[in-house]
Amino acid sequence: MGSTKKILICDDSIMARKQLKDSISQCDIDVEFIEGNNGQDAVDLYKANQPDMVFLDIVMPIKDGATAAREIREFDNNAIVVMASSIGTQQQLKNAIEAGAKDFIQKPLDFAQVKKIIKAHLGGE
Amino acid sequence: MFSQFFGSYLLRKEVITSEQLAEAISKVSETHIKLGTLAIHSGYMVASEVDEVCYLQSREDKRFGEIAIERGYLTEDQVKELLKIQTPYYLLLGQCLVDMGAITNTDLQDCTIGYESENELIDIDLSNESTDKIRQLIERFFVIAEIPVSEYSVMYMELLFNNLIRFIGDDFTPLTPFPCAEYPTNYCVTQEINGEVNCKSRIDMPRDVAIEFASRFINEDFETFDDYVQASIEDFMNLHNGLFVVNMSNSFSIELNLQPPAIETEDVLQLSEATFILPIIYPFGTIHILISLVDA
Repeated sequence: MGSTKKILICDDSIMARKQLKDSISQCDIDVEFIEGNNGQDAVDLYKANQPDMVFLDIVMPIKDGATAAREIREFDNNAIVVMASSIGTQQQLKNAIEAGAKDFIQKPLDFAQVKKIIKAHLGGE
Repeated sequence: MFSQFFGSYLLRKEVITSEQLAEAISKVSETHIKLGTLAIHSGYMVASEVDEVCYLQSREDKRFGEIAIERGYLTEDQVKELLKIQTPYYLLLGQCLVDMGAITNTDLQDCTIGYESENELIDIDLSNESTDKIRQLIERFFVIAEIPVSEYSVMYMELLFNNLIRFIGDDFTPLTPFPCAEYPTNYCVTQEINGEVNCKSRIDMPRDVAIEFASRFINEDFETFDDYVQASIEDFMNLHNGLFVVNMSNSFSIELNLQPPAIETEDVLQLSEATFILPIIYPFGTIHILISLVDA
């Protein structure tokens, strides 16, 4: 088990954040969660905390996920940004990848999928 | 999906009242299918024969199958075959209405035949539902309500019913949709889709119904109307509308913008002519879907 990882989760749904936190907590890593509920929060909280990984919803108030991802990558080119959304049109996936997302996770969340993404980017079992 | 529409068919034929339908839906999970109902549905017995066997059952301490075989209405092989059938939801609902005394076995026989022929159904387990037939069923549903149907609105409704079946449960009955100028809200979530197709959708339900709806959606037992319950209703709407946006992109290359869901703050909504209300009855209560879908 490594050092504590900081994970930023931005989603306007408190339920979606809870489900993602519950799933990540079942992976074998020490995690500190930081939460925001819109795209602007995502950018501000990233700059303030510089987390190891960030999960962004695509459809969010104030600033959407793709715009937030782009601004985060402009601040930190190595940021690990994962888009988490029920929406996965080819165009939106393309936008997310162009914005610098390294991965995409489909909602409703599947634990195996969350575990795979955490393992791929942060290690742990 | 044909099962879900049987209740609204009975209402349309004025065989039952909406109160009786709501009562039957709330009891359906406790209802066990009777051999007689299956025998009528399979065409092995007619309603009058089933009534006769039920009457004899009240005088003799024998099972339905035994008496039916003695009277020559069923063979042993037919009884065995009937016992293996996986009961479709609409037959259970019909059985429930018979048990309540709302309809007779003859009514049920006539209505199932009428419903099946209207929808050209052949298989008792309804496993071979074709997309075309489901679309026709949904289109007919709107024609009856005298609401204009477009290709996209049928797609939207088909996806909605599929999402309800997939994420909440198949034990619901949609009532005939209707236009409405004013709507008093309970807990109401609204979401807009903009672009070549513009859609404003709302889902509304009382708080106690929202607790049950969220519990089914998230697969957790919620007890109070808290932030998680409220967010779950928003998530359902977001998921459903998100999938619609994906389908529109994949099927028609139409890229639409989905706005974040929001809680409706008005106590009474003033609705446009293009808005229709679709009540959906679940055993735990009724939810209302309000939809206004306009092709730009």
